[in-house]
Amino acid sequence: MTRLIPSEDELHAYVDDRLTPPRRAEVQAWLAANPQEAARIDAWRNDARRLRAALAGFGDQPGAAQLDLGQVQRRLRQRRQRRLASAAVLLLALGVGGLGGWQARQVTLAGNELPMADAVQAHRLFAGSEALDIQASDPTQLRDWLGRHFNRVGQLPDLTGYGFQPVGARLLSNEQGPAALLVFQDRAGQRISLFLRSPGQHYERMPQGQRVDGQLEARYWSHGAYNFALVSAADDVRGAGVGEALRLGL
Amino acid sequence: MHDLDEQQWRELLQRLRRFALWLTREPGSADDLVQGTVERALARSSQQRDADALRAWLFTILYRLFLDGKRRERLHARWLSWFGHAEREEEAFGGNIENIVLAQADLQAFARLSAEQRALLLLVSIEGLSYKEAAVALQIPIGTVMSRLSRARAALRELTEGNPQPPALRRLK
Repeated sequence: MTRLIPSEDELHAYVDDRLTPPRRAEVQAWLAANPQEAARIDAWRNDARRLRAALAGFGDQPGAAQLDLGQVQRRLRQRRQRRLASAAVLLLALGVGGLGGWQARQVTLAGNELPMADAVQAHRLFAGSEALDIQASDPTQLRDWLGRHFNRVGQLPDLTGYGFQPVGARLLSNEQGPAALLVFQDRAGQRISLFLRSPGQHYERMPQGQRVDGQLEARYWSHGAYNFALVSAADDVRGAGVGEALRLGL
Repeated sequence: MHDLDEQQWRELLQRLRRFALWLTREPGSADDLVQGTVERALARSSQQRDADALRAWLFTILYRLFLDGKRRERLHARWLSWFGHAEREEEAFGGNIENIVLAQADLQAFARLSAEQRALLLLVSIEGLSYKEAAVALQIPIGTVMSRLSRARAALRELTEGNPQPPALRRLK
């Protein structure tokens, strides 16, 4: 008998027609025997019915904006495109700003110190002279020497393909620590040199670049623990290729 | 969503707008709410839903958007009050809604329920959502749905039949 007495929740479910058919029949029977409860339930149901009637067409007010599905979709697409466009503009602005900033920094620094100025100086002082620590015409010999002094450097590439044979190398030092100058020469006696050292204060992450300094041209880059510079005659067209080979090998 | 024909779509929009009107009490905001709902639904309509599930889902989106808007409004009001502007209690209906409500005793009683009670009665009694769907839409546990439904029906009963109270809505002109 207890099972037959519906809970308050069940009475609501009865009004909303959410009971299983058998339970619905049971509740109906119970309500027939309990007229007072039945009146309460009827009142709820009447309220709901009156509300439904009163609210019919309520959303359909004059002046209501008509929404066309296709139109909304088109608008959404446009908005997405606009957003993408804004993002692109923002990226561009950031890029221009960043690049400009970087270049401004370069210019500022260049006022005080040119990148790898010491490489050009070393080339001027030592590349022409015979005052090198070692004389080496064999690339492997030079490679071994480099590996002995700078253990975190890559393979020194063979520059024979560009017409350059090793001449020798010299160990140097400046305030950044040890540095090395490797000198190469072609058949005509034209000399180029590779300079490497620890990064300086201002050029910790030095961007790859090149600059002409008088008769000389320096190509410089950073890799691993060192900064590198290839110094060659400004009019030597092989500079770019040699620089590239060194940059990839070291 | 695109399976609906023109007639079904218009009817669905009307239902959404009715719900939105009773939440916001303001035709302009209600239209914004409906539009926001449709846009969001279109942006996420990868999943196929049958007509009933689609309806429940749209009500869910609409109610969430409404709550988000309320939250923003409260935040805004707090900001304003910090800057010396008093908070404004908004209870009256805007536009022509007020006239319609005033014209019908049943709606007057309904209008005096709390916003939560109104939302629930609309979803369950008018829109025919299941208790579970209503719970999802209103972000409340199903137990709360049942107790709120019970209180809402009792309150509506009392307002409709019980002690006659002066109408809460009055046009002041």
